[in-house]
Amino acid sequence: MLRKCISTFSFAAALMIGSFAGQAAAQEKAAAPAQPPTKPSVAKVCGNCHQPQPGNLRGNFDSVAYKTKSIQVKIDEATEILRFDDNLKIMNVQAPADNPDQPLYGLKKGKEVRIEFTEKDGKKFATLISAKTTIKVAPEKQVKTEDVEKLVAQGPKKGKYMLIDARPLPRFQEGSIPTAINIPFPAFEKMKDKLPADKASLIVYYCAGVT
Amino acid sequence: MSPDSARRAEKLGYTNVKVYVDGTPEWVKRNHLVLSTQFLKEAWIDKDIPHVLVDVRPAAESEKGFIKGAVTVPAAGIEKAIARFPPKDKKAPIMIYDQKGGADAVKAAKALIAAGYAPVDIVSGGFDAWKAAGFPVQTGMLAENIVYVPKPRPGEIAIEEFAKIAKATPPDTLILDVRNRDEGNAGMIKGAKLVPDEEILDRFAEIPKDKKIVAHCSTGVRAEMAYHKLKEKGYTVQFLNAKVDINDKGEFKLEKP
Repeated sequence: MLRKCISTFSFAAALMIGSFAGQAAAQEKAAAPAQPPTKPSVAKVCGNCHQPQPGNLRGNFDSVAYKTKSIQVKIDEATEILRFDDNLKIMNVQAPADNPDQPLYGLKKGKEVRIEFTEKDGKKFATLISAKTTIKVAPEKQVKTEDVEKLVAQGPKKGKYMLIDARPLPRFQEGSIPTAINIPFPAFEKMKDKLPADKASLIVYYCAGVT
Repeated sequence: MSPDSARRAEKLGYTNVKVYVDGTPEWVKRNHLVLSTQFLKEAWIDKDIPHVLVDVRPAAESEKGFIKGAVTVPAAGIEKAIARFPPKDKKAPIMIYDQKGGADAVKAAKALIAAGYAPVDIVSGGFDAWKAAGFPVQTGMLAENIVYVPKPRPGEIAIEEFAKIAKATPPDTLILDVRNRDEGNAGMIKGAKLVPDEEILDRFAEIPKDKKIVAHCSTGVRAEMAYHKLKEKGYTVQFLNAKVDINDKGEFKLEKP
């Protein structure tokens, strides 16, 4: 994850340098129309599994305004705003019980989404929004808060478990469940020597809720 | 991320792999989290991420040495002190430390969690661990007032500053009302210009580039979208992230959500 942080910073730095250079160039050639900076179409977090596709955006849902029929989506540092109409296809979104006519209010800020859009005169128009589906975990493989509480109260030695926080390091640093160690999912391969030697011992994974 | 990790572990031959599907969002409703002194410093204090740092030792003890930015709320009086914490719907992250990361911190954390606060973190090892790590220590009186100011979103204007501009708009500034026509007809801030958010992309010519633009709507959502559109076009622009009520006389009420 450290590597990811560094790349985020250098990305931001590159953007800044890019925009300064752009300004300088614009001043030199005032007649030439300013080129809009190219925005990414896939957020880094989605890029672990997905490639950019024309007419598609992948990022984190930010907000919806039904009054103007607009969706705001974050793609890392960039923000995209798309209009939509009543024909917008909505997938994997649970509409709020008290507001079934405005289902996008059921999307939480930050939720990973894929949007299909068309573009005309620089204006993006969304035709489909699909939220990332929940990965199914078989019931017998799940543990509940009470189970984790019992384990934590015993401690890893007595409880004979390893509690693993699969979130990125910055989230782990902000606060973690007591006795947990951090093995971010993207670093799984690199850190597999941290796993217990005994393959039959109990391992409990958690993150910020399965999304 | 946890189901993916579990699958990978099973592929390696682990036979007793479980997933705590509800994860941290459920955990923090009933339990505290922990963080090390190093993480407190690096992930919160050094990055200037808003949080509430609480020293729960007796004041006489704290004054001999404490972590910069901490407020004093001795564990003995925690129940009574809860009313002094920011409203829980602000979701202020609360970090608690005592001398050694022991019973006092747990007592304070339990009281706050029972009152509906989340997330509540305990600093492992307490003040002793902080000092042992060689991190800076302050002495003297600790603040008693608990202040929590969430970080503004990029482009957000302070609500007080907006109120000032709305009462007397300076000549170099334009208040851009991005609500729809019906909302605008029901009442607008004096001197504001109405350009509904969905029309901005077609009406840049009407929005002066040589003025500071301050966008507002009725909740902050459309204003933020307008902010991004204008910023991309090179405007100097801010937006109001607050609930706005305007009557037909142009009198307005602002409320931070």
